[in-house]
Amino acid sequence: MRNYIKKKISLISFLFIPIIYFWDPSWLKFLGVQPYWPLFWLLPWSMIYGPFDGLIIGLILGLILDSLSVDSSFTQIPGLIFCGLWFGKLSISKYSFEEHLRFGLICSIASFFCGSLYFFQILIKYWSDHVIFLYLTSIQNIFAQVFITGLLAPLLCSLLLKLFQTSKGRDKLTNFID
Amino acid sequence: MVDIRRISTNRWWHKKNNWGLFIFLLFLFFVRISKGSLYKDFYYLISKPFWPGQFQREVLTKSVEQEFLIRLKQVEKDNKRLREILSLQRLSDSESISANVISRKTGSFWRQIILNKGTKDGVEIGSFVVGPGGLLGRVDNASLLTSTVKLLTSPESKVGVWVERIQMHGLLVGSGNDYPKVIFYNKDIDIKVGDFVLSSPASTLLPPNIPIGIIQSVDEEFKSKKTANILLLGKPQAIDWVQILKVEI
Repeated sequence: MRNYIKKKISLISFLFIPIIYFWDPSWLKFLGVQPYWPLFWLLPWSMIYGPFDGLIIGLILGLILDSLSVDSSFTQIPGLIFCGLWFGKLSISKYSFEEHLRFGLICSIASFFCGSLYFFQILIKYWSDHVIFLYLTSIQNIFAQVFITGLLAPLLCSLLLKLFQTSKGRDKLTNFID
Repeated sequence: MVDIRRISTNRWWHKKNNWGLFIFLLFLFFVRISKGSLYKDFYYLISKPFWPGQFQREVLTKSVEQEFLIRLKQVEKDNKRLREILSLQRLSDSESISANVISRKTGSFWRQIILNKGTKDGVEIGSFVVGPGGLLGRVDNASLLTSTVKLLTSPESKVGVWVERIQMHGLLVGSGNDYPKVIFYNKDIDIKVGDFVLSSPASTLLPPNIPIGIIQSVDEEFKSKKTANILLLGKPQAIDWVQILKVEI
């Protein structure tokens, strides 16, 4: 059983992303904003499996998260696809203090990119109503998310990267994607 | 010489009784001038231990509450009858559904709560959700066991509202933060901080006169529009129990 879980750790942890998305622990919030959870999983996974798999899993993640959200006019897919592709091109270096900080920086940039893409979708949708200035205050959400995502990324990404590297379930997951 | 001494000892101020009378008269004069305030204050002090107690206050409060409830029921009946005559939106007669908040996303751009009641319990899409304080949002999605509520703060939320004091309609728009905005399509309105915002009596989506919030600040007018920030009365980030109410169409 233990070996089975070890093999499938990437798939099991993937299934937990929507659960964490729903759970939304209040003690992990900054200015009422929680971290952008999918990035913590997507970064180590794409770093191990490469840009193409990263792109596909980014698309799947986006589809799942969009279906969990009630905002049907906006999508998280473009941001997550781009991040999957980008993360896949990053190389894994030796574990060091700088590597942990690198995870934080990468996740902060990715969070900023995804948040901005989402924000621009809102602006574009309401551009014609001449009320876009109403939404400018929500820029705060982007920066709060960047901060809290960057803060937690070194811990969570390093942990998941270690787990994924030791797991043997790569073939199963990639077969499932292909 | 002897006569002079006798006269001086017989002056009125040399007699104790006269002084007593003088002080008493002075006291009466003071009572008259102050309209008995000294007496009233004294009575306040000595009667304090015998005032109507907490129990009596509770009994009276309960009676007043009951009176208000009866009046409210009567007003609701009248309101329902009149709205039927005018063929306007009204609340369903069936009981509301109490639900527990099992997930909440009240930060960032995604603003929704998930309730532990779904289609199995009779929840319908479009039902509105109220919590302590007032309106929270509308049911946007319902599964067998759960329902998802789009909060008023969501960027996609748009609700017609009514400002009671100035008798004006506005559009409540979620802006992706905790303070949604009301847009008034008239720049000359006299909107003030502290005005109550209710659901619009003319809304086709919501029942009328549900408390929503209070005007927190008024922005500068822009292109013949006036906007104001709203402090919501219902706090979705803190509420654990809500009521799902159906709207009869």
